[in-house]
Amino acid sequence: MSIQKDIRELIEAGIITSETAKKIEEHYAKKSSSPTNRLFVVFGILGAILVGLGIILMIAHNWDELSKTTKTVLAFLPLILSQFLCVYILLKKSVSKAWVESATTLLFFSIGACISLISQIYHIPGNLSSLLLVWMVLFLPLIYVMKSSVAPLLYIVGITYYAAEASYFSYPNFVPYAYWGLLLAVLPQYFILAKKSPKSNYLTLENIVIPLSVTIALGTFSSVGSYFMYVAYFSLFGLFYNIGANNLFGSNKTRSNPYKVIGALGTLTLLFVSSFEWFWLEAIQSKNELENWITYVSFWVALGITVLAIFYLLKLLKTKSIRELPIFAPLFLVFIILFGLGQFSSSVWILINVVILAVSILTIIEGAKKEHLGILNFGLAIITLWIIIRFLNTDLSFIIRGLLLITIGVGFFTANYLMLKKRKTNG
Amino acid sequence: MVNKKTIITVFVIVAIIQLAVPAKMIWDKESILKTGKEFKFETAPVDPSDPFRGKYITLEFKENSYKIQSGSEWQEGEEVYVILNTNSKGFATIKDLSKAKPDEGLDYVKATIQYITGPLLDNVIVSYPFDRFYMEESKAYEAEKAYNETQLDSIKTTYALVNIKKGNAALKDVMIDGVSIIDIVNENQHKNK
Repeated sequence: MSIQKDIRELIEAGIITSETAKKIEEHYAKKSSSPTNRLFVVFGILGAILVGLGIILMIAHNWDELSKTTKTVLAFLPLILSQFLCVYILLKKSVSKAWVESATTLLFFSIGACISLISQIYHIPGNLSSLLLVWMVLFLPLIYVMKSSVAPLLYIVGITYYAAEASYFSYPNFVPYAYWGLLLAVLPQYFILAKKSPKSNYLTLENIVIPLSVTIALGTFSSVGSYFMYVAYFSLFGLFYNIGANNLFGSNKTRSNPYKVIGALGTLTLLFVSSFEWFWLEAIQSKNELENWITYVSFWVALGITVLAIFYLLKLLKTKSIRELPIFAPLFLVFIILFGLGQFSSSVWILINVVILAVSILTIIEGAKKEHLGILNFGLAIITLWIIIRFLNTDLSFIIRGLLLITIGVGFFTANYLMLKKRKTNG
Repeated sequence: MVNKKTIITVFVIVAIIQLAVPAKMIWDKESILKTGKEFKFETAPVDPSDPFRGKYITLEFKENSYKIQSGSEWQEGEEVYVILNTNSKGFATIKDLSKAKPDEGLDYVKATIQYITGPLLDNVIVSYPFDRFYMEESKAYEAEKAYNETQLDSIKTTYALVNIKKGNAALKDVMIDGVSIIDIVNENQHKNK
């Protein structure tokens, strides 16, 4: 390890005593669990997932040669074995993380395998969503009992699958309200993890999985008054961005702040979608759909999310002045105003395009000020995408379109070159 | 820190529930199979698949519609009790639909309203809780083929053998002219070898 080499050098140079050196070494040893151990955990989990899925596929074959009794025994066997394994792990005093994670993963899949096989043997109808619901409810307590880190991830993926299956993939479909209850049930674990170990990799994974899951599940409300859903999604991405900007779950870096990334990308996607005229023409056409707005679930959902997003925006304003506020933080409020205007005139699309331009320019300026290449190029990417969408589809001649692309390319080069040069002179 | 004993106790309770839920599924179905009344539903199978439970044939029943008085308050997706009768050929027919649980003396099954059709919106299509018959991977498609062949022969009938008890149902077998579709597929596969 390079640090040991450095320490030796420092001792030889007489900068630190050997006692201090020992302390430093101990500190680093405590801080990083050994990489081989971590590898064991990863392979343990992967192995358990593969074995679990394998068992389910074997079951899906539906063995005619086996009697009903044999099939039933086979259905319960993996479940009982993995339950015993988990009890053994709980009873043992110190047990490695690899064991906990693999055993919990195995138990997760055995529950699914058992109820799948039983409903296969008895031709129990129920669609896939009801099977997933039973499965996730049965697994839920283990998140807290086993204290495994993979458990909440598997569970969140499972309940998201349930929501999507109930609403998007099947007909007749229904609004899976149960999803929100199930999601609520996993949050205490999430908050505890964020408080106890804000730097853990599992927290970063949950920071990705949870907002994505909510993004997928929110659309299940969109059956009536679907235009409110645009407000709901806009506010949701605003909420995510502001949660990220407040550093509620973990550190400041973009890489480990998926809330910010998902919030910004989601906001941009919606801005681009609503930057077309047809979007607002359709909004006006479906205006009478919004007449009974007070009775729509989608309206209340949009309202609730917006209130939450405003709450976190205000919280952000306590630590930052309005000038320091990132451009993505208050955008959802701008959209709500534009959405209101859009009920009367379809020319709102022009304003949306102005907003996109403003966002990209402000992002570029922010990148230049902070001398951050990532932010700078993000701003440039937004404007490039905007130009491609706006101008390349139109009837402009090839020459003009070509010139446009060349200009963008040159712009990229110059901006990055100037930034690097500036950095060098500053450094 | 929560006591280890409590954690183990909670785990054991959870484990028992995890075992009890599938066990209850078995128990319910076994009780219907052992003591329920048998019905034959004429059917038309096709074969889709489910990622966890494998291949099955979907059963579409001929006796799935019922004329109601127009303007009655029935909704799609609503639960409904289907009161059953048997016709002269021995197949199940719908005698009536009811929102309330029928008397014990009647034979009935809990179903859902799939949709309502007709110019007067007076034709209710029900979906029975026994529309999937799981089969071995290689056999589901064969079963569909076997069924299609019988369709050319108008004398043959396909039906599902279902037991019904207190509104709940358990699907036992799918038959083509009195022979189990599994046996027919086995025989066909044997012949082809």
